Amino acid sequence: MPNDAAGSGERRTPDGLLESLQERAKELNCLYHVEEALRTHENSLEDALESVIDAIPPGWQYPDICRARISVEGLDKRSEGFEATPWVLTSEISVQGRTVGSVEVYYLEGRPEEDQGPFLKEEVRLINTIAGLIGHYVLRQRLQDVQKDWEALREQGETQGTEIWRSPLHLLRESDRGLYLRIAHKMLNYLCQVGIDEAQRTLMGGEPTASTEQGARGEANVPACPPLQDTDYLLSDAPFELASRYLSQTEILTRVQNWMQEDKASTFLRVLNNPRTSLPEIVDAMRRFEHGIPDKLVLRPSTLKTLRVSLTQRILTEQIDFVRVAKENVHIEDFFELSGRMIIPAGSHGRLGGKSAGMVLAHRILERASTPERPIGENHLPNTWYLPSDGLLDFIGHNDLQDVIEQKFKDTDEIRREYPDIVRLFKSSTFPPRIMNGLSVALDDLDDVPLIVRSSSLLEDRLGTAFSGKYRSLFVANRGSKSERLAALADAIAEVYASTFGPDPIEYRRERGLLEFNEEMGILIQEVVGRRIGKYFLPAFAGVAFSNSEFRWSPRIEREDGLVRLVPGLGTRAVDRVADDYPTLLVPGKPNLRANVAVDEIVRYSPRWMDVINLETGTIETKRVQDLMKELGGDYPMLREVFSSLQDGMLKQVPPPVMLDAERENLVATFDGLAGRKPFLEHLDNVLDLLEAKLGTPVDIEFAHDGERFYLLQCRPQSKADQSTPAPIPKDVSPDRVIFAADRHVSNGWVPEITHVVYVDPDGYAELAGRDEMLAVARAVGKLNRLLPTKRFILIGPGRWGSRGDVKLGVSVTYADISNTAMLIEVAKRKGEYVPDLSFGTHFFQDLVESRIRYLPLYPDENDATLNERFFKGASNLLPEMLPEFSHLAVALKVIDVPAAADGLVLRVHMNADLDEAIGFLEDPDENHAEPVPVEEKTSRKPVQYWQWRLGMAERIAAAIDPERFGVEAVYVFGSTKNATAGPASDIDLLVHFRGDEKQRRALTSWLEGWGRALAEMNYLRTGYRTESLLDLHLVTDEDIEKKTSYAAKIGAVTDAARELPMGTAIEGGV
Amino acid sequence: MAETGGYNAFEMARSQFDRIADLIDLDQGARDFLRTPMREYHFTIPVRMDDGSMKVFQGFRVQHNDARGPSKGGIRFHPQETIDTVRALSMWMTWKCAVVDIPLGGGKGGVICDPHNLSMREQESICRGFVRQLARNIGPLSDVPAPDVMTNAQHMLWMLDEYEAIHGGRYPGVITGKPVGMGGSLGRTQATGYGVVYTLREALKELDIRPADTTASVQGFGNVAQYAIELYNQIGGTVVCVSCWDQKDQCPYAFRRKEGIDLEGLRSITDPFGGIETAKAREQGYEVIPGDEWIEQDVDILIPSALENSITADNVEKIGKRVKIVAEGANGPTTPEADNALHARGIHVIPDFLANAGGVTCSYFEQVQSNMNYYWEMDEVLGKLDVKMTSAYVAVSELARRRDLYMRDAAYVVSINRVVEACRERGWV
Repeated sequence: MPNDAAGSGERRTPDGLLESLQERAKELNCLYHVEEALRTHENSLEDALESVIDAIPPGWQYPDICRARISVEGLDKRSEGFEATPWVLTSEISVQGRTVGSVEVYYLEGRPEEDQGPFLKEEVRLINTIAGLIGHYVLRQRLQDVQKDWEALREQGETQGTEIWRSPLHLLRESDRGLYLRIAHKMLNYLCQVGIDEAQRTLMGGEPTASTEQGARGEANVPACPPLQDTDYLLSDAPFELASRYLSQTEILTRVQNWMQEDKASTFLRVLNNPRTSLPEIVDAMRRFEHGIPDKLVLRPSTLKTLRVSLTQRILTEQIDFVRVAKENVHIEDFFELSGRMIIPAGSHGRLGGKSAGMVLAHRILERASTPERPIGENHLPNTWYLPSDGLLDFIGHNDLQDVIEQKFKDTDEIRREYPDIVRLFKSSTFPPRIMNGLSVALDDLDDVPLIVRSSSLLEDRLGTAFSGKYRSLFVANRGSKSERLAALADAIAEVYASTFGPDPIEYRRERGLLEFNEEMGILIQEVVGRRIGKYFLPAFAGVAFSNSEFRWSPRIEREDGLVRLVPGLGTRAVDRVADDYPTLLVPGKPNLRANVAVDEIVRYSPRWMDVINLETGTIETKRVQDLMKELGGDYPMLREVFSSLQDGMLKQVPPPVMLDAERENLVATFDGLAGRKPFLEHLDNVLDLLEAKLGTPVDIEFAHDGERFYLLQCRPQSKADQSTPAPIPKDVSPDRVIFAADRHVSNGWVPEITHVVYVDPDGYAELAGRDEMLAVARAVGKLNRLLPTKRFILIGPGRWGSRGDVKLGVSVTYADISNTAMLIEVAKRKGEYVPDLSFGTHFFQDLVESRIRYLPLYPDENDATLNERFFKGASNLLPEMLPEFSHLAVALKVIDVPAAADGLVLRVHMNADLDEAIGFLEDPDENHAEPVPVEEKTSRKPVQYWQWRLGMAERIAAAIDPERFGVEAVYVFGSTKNATAGPASDIDLLVHFRGDEKQRRALTSWLEGWGRALAEMNYLRTGYRTESLLDLHLVTDEDIEKKTSYAAKIGAVTDAARELPMGTAIEGGV
Repeated sequence: MAETGGYNAFEMARSQFDRIADLIDLDQGARDFLRTPMREYHFTIPVRMDDGSMKVFQGFRVQHNDARGPSKGGIRFHPQETIDTVRALSMWMTWKCAVVDIPLGGGKGGVICDPHNLSMREQESICRGFVRQLARNIGPLSDVPAPDVMTNAQHMLWMLDEYEAIHGGRYPGVITGKPVGMGGSLGRTQATGYGVVYTLREALKELDIRPADTTASVQGFGNVAQYAIELYNQIGGTVVCVSCWDQKDQCPYAFRRKEGIDLEGLRSITDPFGGIETAKAREQGYEVIPGDEWIEQDVDILIPSALENSITADNVEKIGKRVKIVAEGANGPTTPEADNALHARGIHVIPDFLANAGGVTCSYFEQVQSNMNYYWEMDEVLGKLDVKMTSAYVAVSELARRRDLYMRDAAYVVSINRVVEACRERGWV
């Protein structure tokens, strides 16, 4: 495409510019349709021209009075109402340098003078391009004819015995001289190889030298044949006449045909393997290759694989595991199809990136692998257009924005401060005309459905899934006039581009030492799967599915049964974990088992909110399911699959649409209809199995269903983030350091550095005096949940945590009582004859899933499982000191400070589902294998910096406090800052021993409030976490300390005591 | 189950009975008779699982006492079901039916199973297997099961269907908890909440307070609470505070509006599980305060209608001076220590098994309607409910006044005495 398309000098006014852009878009559309016409009518020139002739007039400035005529190969096609006039633009169609016809465009009436008569210079170029395309087409057809003739002749060859090779070769010589020459040369070479003297002589330039000697040395000296320069000789029939004396007709024809195919493949390969060839050149070569060899089966499998590997590397990604799988599954025609949907910057060397690659690959695997025994249903790919990764650099270059590249080397707070400006800058920049044209074509193809602009970063290829979600994905409502839609799309892409320079991704890259890696980001422009209902646009449902499930609520569920999270509406709510909402969980391999069984449980853990696109406002809205369903009612796609009707405490099938009264119906998203009455889950299970088998790794996929079709939106190796990798099980731990070991129903994961264990002793609990005492244990656990360091303690207890009703069966906690634990362990200790069933966390299963609390069942009486009761019995119990009011429960409830009980060691838990083993063992906190994860996942993230900075600030505050003025006796720090566990969002817990009066109290709190706010602002700049105040202030009096009420208990506490800070040291210095 | 140490639900139920038996000076024969269920069925339920294997489940049905009428009680699916739990619950059903004076006895059933591990088809097989084993021992005239822990209307319909298949006829009265249109009764959603207020209204009458002059604070905003508020508003009362669980923040909040809450307004911002959206509540003019402060409000009436053990020794002292009545909408909202404190302060407590007996009364109505195969309109159900609840309350409170008994004790005395009478008149004891 012309690079300067937007620059037609005369019309530089804004309106003129827009008009000119629209013209370019028209031309591109025209060209696109011409190509499409030629592609769809591969076998009939007449049909092809029929379509082409209609596609031409819309590309011209005055389509209404524009008529076209094409004459070629004896055909003469004209637009309807054609009339020859003086206002004509002509371009000749030539094949192999010979004119074979022409394309003519007429205006029926005169129009103002432009570059060439009433025609624009771009239109001249356009007609030439069209003529060129038709020329290619004719040539291709001729070649195909030649090939067909050959095949026919070859079949007759043996029987007839005449020199039937002659006429097809003549045809070849006429249509492609270069190819004919190469083939003739190959023939001679071949003859030479099989030891025909004459051929050797010819190759040696007519001098028959030492033929006998060479013959005796056989094939070894064949390569020594110097190249023959005599084209005249080759162009004559001579080589083939020579051949026909030694070879059969069939052999000649077969060899010639194979050489022709290989020739095309090797030309293509040459283009692919040349690192300097750009994407447009590759696409062009691919087009020629595709058209030249309609039947790929004639190529050797090795040739095909080589081509596929090269194409994958150049177009999709270089990631080696991916390439290995792709070469078996993504065919050359797939790349060809893909290339028709790429918007390629001039001279691009970019790739589509990990997300696009994963999607394309998964789709192709599924397309080719369904078997009747394991049906996978239909899988569709949403209409998608791709912008290769160097589009970002193209954009930056076009707008002279190179300065932003250095952004990543600035301080985080500087990056954060400047980021809004970068977003603004990007959004006010323009795209190169070639990209704009491409986007325009894409928009015409995508039509006016809502779009999502997603990033497909090359860093994802390197980092795996851990990096996903760092860049923005934007929805575009895609409403309004074409130019409005185009502007909105460009705006969205600019914003996604800008997110590359956002503080969070840069910080993330910095932590992983990938700052120097030049960020290139591919873009996907994808239709949102869904349909319009009223003013909303939404899919029937969407979700994510994992081929391996780390969360299982029943021993009947195997890890390989997978897990799917389903939500009605857009999938955003299934992908993210939101505290106050739940996706529906189903197990594809065990579709009949449900995480929630009682009706109130099902209702409570059903999706409450739904994300939809409001087409009127063009924004995503989060709507309450109840309210939205009253509005949409029977129009909701797959209503009866997604929802159930809650009536009289029973979940029923939703009445048929004709009977439905949406106002009164109480609809709950249960997906019962999908799980029970449709093969959906069976298909999904097969899809996951298949993808896992082909990709050689557990996968997760994202999908959506618009009510009619199932769309696969993303496929990637299953996330290994969130501490859910299989952890190695150390075998060399000395037995006295093993706290527990389990070997049944183990999930993957690990929990590092546990400092506290809350242990409910099975025997002690069973011997409590009664129900009230058992309930008190639950209340005590709830209080400990708030007092112990978050995610640094674990709960171990008998039977079923969360047991309701019969509290003997387990501690009757609610989720709020355990929300801060890192892990929940249920001990099934044999009681006489039987081993109690465990709950598998079913009482709050979905809460555990959403907050990633680990769960482990422990059967200490079985096999190799152990529970080191000696450790628990031996360790001193902090309960009486921490919660004096519950000290009477000490026999049943123990709070153990692990480092205190084990000479400074901490507890680590490693869980490995592959081995079905888990171990909790004591270890030195300094032993620096904090994260048992593969190296590439390993982060250099240092939580250190968060607490260090906070502690430093706390010290400075203390130093600045004037004890006289504020009536302060002492200042302490405790909690995460003191314990070196602070995260980016943690606040600083300050404990102030106060002895002043009310006035001093007010002065002190307002003074500290100022500090808190200032620190919050600093913390925001450092981390991006917004808080009101970073100080959590607790004032305690002498009385509090004496009575050890509330936080005063932290002063001089047995465990996790507050640390005193030196005070007032900075006063004299005038801070 | 002979376990070492700890407590046992059945032992607790027995000791509670013994205490009342002492109060009414019950003779040893009657004691022995009522301390033990009349009949127990223990049976196995073989089920073909989805994977083709066979699994045998253990089922129980206990008929504690049917002197006053057919046994009535739920069927629980619970992985750690024990016969003693079922026994205790069946005894409790006997007292509960008797306190509202409905002609039904007490029963309970259970299957040791965890529905989380079972497909719906497998659960259906358990339900049908349960009925096959018991088809001759239950019936509209002998024992009437109902839904309970982890069973619902669907399970009841499977059981009903199996029963009818065996007996060759339509017997909707064999089971309650059925959906409307399948033998269920109208008014079931309202029954418990309305029942609480019917008794509350009588209590106010007794204390000579005009409902319109009262204010109340309600714990919970589920079914029971919402309908209780609805009826309480209708009789003129003003609710100034409700509390509910906030799923997002994992803690309860209370919503306070001095001039009275607007039930419809709050309902419009409440999810099906009784959670109120805090932001929207603020827009509607509510103060959002910590959830446990519902109990500290300066009101005349407290209606705990959410959780067990909400009023404890810890917070009973925080109950405002003005509070005159506690109407227990939930099961067991008051711990024994707190109960003593309430008693000592002279607060009038309408005990849970009287206040929330609207539910079981409506089940009885369902059975009555099913047996005659004629179903009442809503008004008729609610009207009859009012009559039952009112006379039940009056009977208990009269006794309490006459004998200066604490309301909870009076309720047990009335109820146990009714059962004893029935047994005696039948010549059983």
